[in-house]
Amino acid sequence: MSATGFLIRKELQLLGRDPHGLALLFLMPAVFILVMTFALQNQYSLNTDTRLDYLLLDRDQSEASARFVEGLAEVGTFNRLPDSGDEAALRARAQADDAKFLLIINTGFTGQLAAQQTAVELLFAPGTSPIFTVVVESQVSFLLKRLSLELSYGELLESAEDIRQLINNNDLYRASSLFEGEQQYPTSVQQNVPAWLLFAMFFIAIPLSTTFISERQQGTLTRLRSQGIGRGQLLAGKLIPYFGINLLQVVMLFLIGLYLVPWLGGDQLTLGQHPWALLVIALAASLAAVCYALLVAQLAGTVEQATMFAAVCNIIMAALGGVMVPRFIMPATMQQLSDLSPMAWGLEGFFDILLRGGDVMSVLPEAGKLLLFAAAMVALATLIERRRA
Amino acid sequence: MIRIQNLRYSYPSSPHPSLKDISLEIGEGSLFGLLGPNGAGKTTLLSILSGLLPCPPGQVWINDLDLAQPGTLQRTRLALVPQEYAFYLPLTVQQNLEFFAGVQGLNQQQRQQRIARAAAQTGLSERLGDRAGNLSGGLKRRLNLAIGLLNEPRLLLLDEPTVGIDPHSRHFILQTIAALNAQGTTVIYTSHYMEEVESLCDRIAIVDHGEIRLQGELQALLEKQGSERLSLELQQPLGAGERALLPALVTVSDCGRQLDAQPAGIRELLSLVQQLQHLGIVRVRYGQHNLESLFLDLTHRSLRD
Repeated sequence: MSATGFLIRKELQLLGRDPHGLALLFLMPAVFILVMTFALQNQYSLNTDTRLDYLLLDRDQSEASARFVEGLAEVGTFNRLPDSGDEAALRARAQADDAKFLLIINTGFTGQLAAQQTAVELLFAPGTSPIFTVVVESQVSFLLKRLSLELSYGELLESAEDIRQLINNNDLYRASSLFEGEQQYPTSVQQNVPAWLLFAMFFIAIPLSTTFISERQQGTLTRLRSQGIGRGQLLAGKLIPYFGINLLQVVMLFLIGLYLVPWLGGDQLTLGQHPWALLVIALAASLAAVCYALLVAQLAGTVEQATMFAAVCNIIMAALGGVMVPRFIMPATMQQLSDLSPMAWGLEGFFDILLRGGDVMSVLPEAGKLLLFAAAMVALATLIERRRA
Repeated sequence: MIRIQNLRYSYPSSPHPSLKDISLEIGEGSLFGLLGPNGAGKTTLLSILSGLLPCPPGQVWINDLDLAQPGTLQRTRLALVPQEYAFYLPLTVQQNLEFFAGVQGLNQQQRQQRIARAAAQTGLSERLGDRAGNLSGGLKRRLNLAIGLLNEPRLLLLDEPTVGIDPHSRHFILQTIAALNAQGTTVIYTSHYMEEVESLCDRIAIVDHGEIRLQGELQALLEKQGSERLSLELQQPLGAGERALLPALVTVSDCGRQLDAQPAGIRELLSLVQQLQHLGIVRVRYGQHNLESLFLDLTHRSLRD
């Protein structure tokens, strides 16, 4: 085995003796993927199996209100819960987030509709997402308008078949996603696997920089250099094992998305049409992460400083880069800021392949940015090291 | 044989030179003590000798080869044992020895032989499976030394190899160093412990402010400085008036509380004892010069300052 081989083996032995480091690199992202995939599942599957639970109080008990209730029951995303009890009890249940909303049909519903006055009250539970409130309001509004038309122009509509068809026609548009997977839409797992993978890849900055600093402080680097080990060998002895660890993270976390998440009842990760292109973006992201770790090792004077600095920077890069909050949820200004994070570049690269059917060529811009970032990190680290010497 | 001639060295970040015109000769097979207070330039000198700092051409020769020339260091079979525990605490003794032997390019058979030998020399043969971080301070020092012995060095640079350990381990390490030297290894030894240097080294150099203040055979140096000395230790420091009374051959240290007289000044200092009594004479010592007093005379600083 060459000297570099021994340096690599030593690095792996040190990591093997560091349960905290191993947990940080492998367990933490695995847990994040599982938790966040299932937690955000509804955010992504609104078009398929989202069920918005609601409670209903019909004060009017009229023929019109009964038709409205029937209309509500036909809305696929709504799910009426058993609503025994008085209004106060129903309000309390909605207040406690038992249901997404409480719908109250006012007394005099029919007359109010005819007079185009408020006929229904919608009370949303405190934790209801604004996205869901928009969906509920538009559905209820549509049902009320249709019922109002039917009540006002019932006889006319009976004879004007084409107008009646127009009101009830849902085929005027067709919605679909350009996502090319087995399912119709991208799922939570598609967002969370690459996102937390990138987060974990950049976390190698902690074990890598802390071993570097320990070696500097304990005189081990001095000893190695006095034995004729060159800077290139020392660098290779650090970069190669952590490069390998990054690739191991890629394999492990993708396997979780492919097999463990569906086994636990979630959606399966799909790899797009050119899965080998994933390797290009993974290698570029790994190089960026390893070189970033070298800079942290040079910037920090102590192990504690390196740990704190790397952790804080990673969290900021992740928050900005769309790891913790998907970029499409962010406002335009935040999305522009997000472009500053290398994790965002990596994530876009993964999405190009996983969601947009991209190939190697389509990820070259993101891979190029990551490689430039890596080069800048190495240049800065070298500059600082020379100044320190 | 190491020959250093008018060696100067300045760190790029410092305006002051760390070494100023250092000239030294260290014979092959010698056990050479390098002494000096903190910041005197010892580590800089060891760093240049071990190739960690660039060596200016034509100023350092090892076995008549210019150290600045490529390949000289590789031909020297040199080992540096730093002051710190320069190994990996989470790994076992065996893993550490394997690693440091491996990076030197030794094959498996050579590695096994060298590891067994270095472990035997330092008394670690029974502790190979122990995690380095769990060893006592003394055993860690031995491991530090054992790693330095893996390349069977002809020139061994030891930077404070006995700092912070128990007397038993110190004795063991000093014996090991003496045995290595007896087998022909040239040793350059720095220490804060004067008695160690005095008992171990045949030649010494005292470095201060980047300059060699004294060098030569230890016994000859002590004899040259005179065999007699008188020291007074005072409770209160000397005032300006008392200082004016002192003869030229009396040196003052420890902020005016310690007076040391050279042989020719002893009689004059004795005549002043009466006049210094009001400052409280704590101790009077009369005896032969030793390395510590020699060092104090030259640097006016304690080695542990």
